[in-house]
Amino acid sequence: MATPEVLEEKRSLAGINADYKEKFGFHDPETGYAYKAPKGLSREVVESISEYKDEPQWMRDFRLKALDHFEARPTPKWGGDLDQIDFDDIHYFVRASDKNSRDWSEVPEDIKNTFDRLGIPEAERKFLSGVGAQYESEVVYHQVNEKLEAQGVIFTDMDTALREHEDLVREHWATVIPPNDNKLAALNSAVWSGGSFVYVPAGVKVEMPLQAYFRINTENMGQFERTLIICEEGADVHYIEGCTAPVYSTDSLHSAVVEIICKPSSRVRYTTVQNWSQNVFNLVTKRAVAQERATMEWVDCNLGSKLTMKYPSIYLLGQEAHGEILSIAFAGDGQHQDAGGKIVHAAPKTSSSIFSKSISKDGGRSTYRGLLEVADGASESRSKVVCDALLLDEDSRSDTYPTIRIDENDADIGHEATVSKIGDEQLFYLQSRGLDEEEASKMIVNGFIEPVTKELPMEYAVELNRLIELQMEGSIG
Amino acid sequence: MNSTELTTEPNWLEQRRRRGASLTESLPLPDQKAKGWEFTDLSGLDLDAYEASGAEAAVSGGEGATVVSLADAVSTHGELLEERLGSLVAAEDPFVARNEAGWRDGVLVHVPAGVRVEEPIRIELPLDAAGAAVEWRTLIVLEEGAEAEVWEHWSSPSDEVDAILNSVVELSVGQAATLRYVNTQDLSERAWIFATQRAQVERDGRLDWTALGFGSGRGKVRMETNLAGPGSEARVTGGYAGGPGQHLDYDTTQEHAAPNTNSDLAFRGVLAGGSTAVWRGMIKVDPGAQQTDAFQESRNLLLSPEAHADAIPGLEILADDVRCTHAAAIAQIDKEQLFYLTSRGIDTADAKSLIIEGFLESLVERLAAGPVRDEISSRLEQRLAEIL
Repeated sequence: MATPEVLEEKRSLAGINADYKEKFGFHDPETGYAYKAPKGLSREVVESISEYKDEPQWMRDFRLKALDHFEARPTPKWGGDLDQIDFDDIHYFVRASDKNSRDWSEVPEDIKNTFDRLGIPEAERKFLSGVGAQYESEVVYHQVNEKLEAQGVIFTDMDTALREHEDLVREHWATVIPPNDNKLAALNSAVWSGGSFVYVPAGVKVEMPLQAYFRINTENMGQFERTLIICEEGADVHYIEGCTAPVYSTDSLHSAVVEIICKPSSRVRYTTVQNWSQNVFNLVTKRAVAQERATMEWVDCNLGSKLTMKYPSIYLLGQEAHGEILSIAFAGDGQHQDAGGKIVHAAPKTSSSIFSKSISKDGGRSTYRGLLEVADGASESRSKVVCDALLLDEDSRSDTYPTIRIDENDADIGHEATVSKIGDEQLFYLQSRGLDEEEASKMIVNGFIEPVTKELPMEYAVELNRLIELQMEGSIG
Repeated sequence: MNSTELTTEPNWLEQRRRRGASLTESLPLPDQKAKGWEFTDLSGLDLDAYEASGAEAAVSGGEGATVVSLADAVSTHGELLEERLGSLVAAEDPFVARNEAGWRDGVLVHVPAGVRVEEPIRIELPLDAAGAAVEWRTLIVLEEGAEAEVWEHWSSPSDEVDAILNSVVELSVGQAATLRYVNTQDLSERAWIFATQRAQVERDGRLDWTALGFGSGRGKVRMETNLAGPGSEARVTGGYAGGPGQHLDYDTTQEHAAPNTNSDLAFRGVLAGGSTAVWRGMIKVDPGAQQTDAFQESRNLLLSPEAHADAIPGLEILADDVRCTHAAAIAQIDKEQLFYLTSRGIDTADAKSLIIEGFLESLVERLAAGPVRDEISSRLEQRLAEIL
């Protein structure tokens, strides 16, 4: 079946991302950790985390209750293969540095080196309004610019928020994702550490995106950050989360919980560029609720990890609420991107859309898994789901599992999906214009994901394109 | 058929029945946790409340082909049956196992190589006895280059009949053969239907499969096509229309097991009253099945606030040189269209039925002009009149 062109194309695409280790696989010597919990999970570990952080009793009880849920629930059998995770072989808490620095000069040197390689200070100097960079389990560097503080915006790490804004945290904590939601959310609830807390007061528009950079740096260390975003009536915020992680020989687990509350007429956009190293299990629960006329947008780009299972969800609870999910997945050798999105229309006149683009290559597998539900009474709701998948070689795999549940006749719901390969004509055309195959393939892939990248802030679009180009970089020439 | 005939069954068949019976013992009826059964609740099904019964089917047409009752074919076409019966549908399923163990009759259609059957073969199966559980079996085999059209109609004389139809249909389309198979189901709205239907199409073969579902209260209809030979193609067209109290469940699979294959599936459903429907469709492209072109579409029109539809399209693609597309939509009657028509002086009821007819028209247009199309069209029209 394989024509010479197909073979040629295969050659040009082979070996992409072989140099990941050189480019991203640096890791710092494991010295100077202030505290590292022993491997494995138990009541004692959970209690010691809580004690170490000097948390209020309600949070300690919450953690212990969540631990019971975690232990009681079976490991999910659908989606990716989770049996490879040995939950007893993981450090559940590591503290990198005792101090939560606000000034760049106070950040420890080796941590700085890591950030330098990721270009954080550069980006910050340019335009960041605030940086919370999670290195290991806690935020070590944090800055919110004075203008935001003056507006009453809180942007801090979750541990600090619990200390300084306990009432606000407690009021909203786990109201969107209860600890018994699923096994991994229960795990996060038991051992969470770090993450971001964002509070935007009514009517405040945060003009610059808030960013947090996450990295995992200890072998076998789980990272369980917990993010809570509260956007009051009429407020507007864009939060960006980006990840790169060094390569290690054994598997690592990342299991975050992100809860977002969009009060009436507010707007929240949450952007993720996920590029964990290819041994990380990335099992994340992300959910938002949108009240009357609120808009919630997830922009979710998954490039790294061994297995990602992540389905950002939006519950449209108020009239005329709007939800959007844009998803990109890139699965290379040994990777399974099981991503997608869920939208539940629970009020009249709500609207939503999901656009998903996936690329599978070198035997990688990408899966779109989605749910679109229109509850009884959510009349005049509209939704559109479009999933496109690109297969770059015959060893790769693409799956699409959307579920559509409609309990309301006065709704307009559409779903479409396509799976295809890079068109021979497209390649031929570009090559006839003097591009080599690799450039032509890159260009076609960039064009394929463009509807999503154009939604990203400029420097993220540039970074995403660069990451995809890295993944696409071939061995020819 | 009486018991003396049963005892004279050949060895192979006795063995199959025993195996079917033991599988029936070991395979419980699926609950809603079972994969594929999430949306269809069988807890109200008490199989013991029904009595295994035969059914008097009327069969006509088929000059040039063998068209015989399956019970008779056991003695007249034993070898063919031994080889082909059960070759496409695996017994490891609670409903297929029951059928294997207990089928009493069915139809064998065998079209020899190169034979073209002009007239449609018609099979009329009535489900008319209350309390009956009918295990029915259809086996259609088209040898190389053969061509035939088979109509199978399952119906009940009234909507009061409480009975079960559990049927297994196997469609074997040989090399370069062409089969047009039309299955229309208008059982009692109190009846249970379980249908497991699977087609296999060999090299350059062509299958044109049309299914209509109007009756039954609950159950599941599975329609699977396996494009086994290069260059084979399948076109599957389905329409269903449910009224109050009905739950319709369609489960379709398009499997591409060879390169250069083409499948095109379209379903449309109209749901009135408190009727519910679930359609689950899967396109599977096996490794190496390059140059595959697969399409799948499901659209539902909800006519009442109580109607409910689930659509679960799916793609599992393990080859790269493919074009696979699916689409699903669930909507109500477009208010603007309705407004337009009523503003032209058409009353609301007529305007609605015009819009619904238009919605179903695109299904009918998939069929080649001729008696099939006309009959499907008129059945749809009749059914709409019933549920509106």
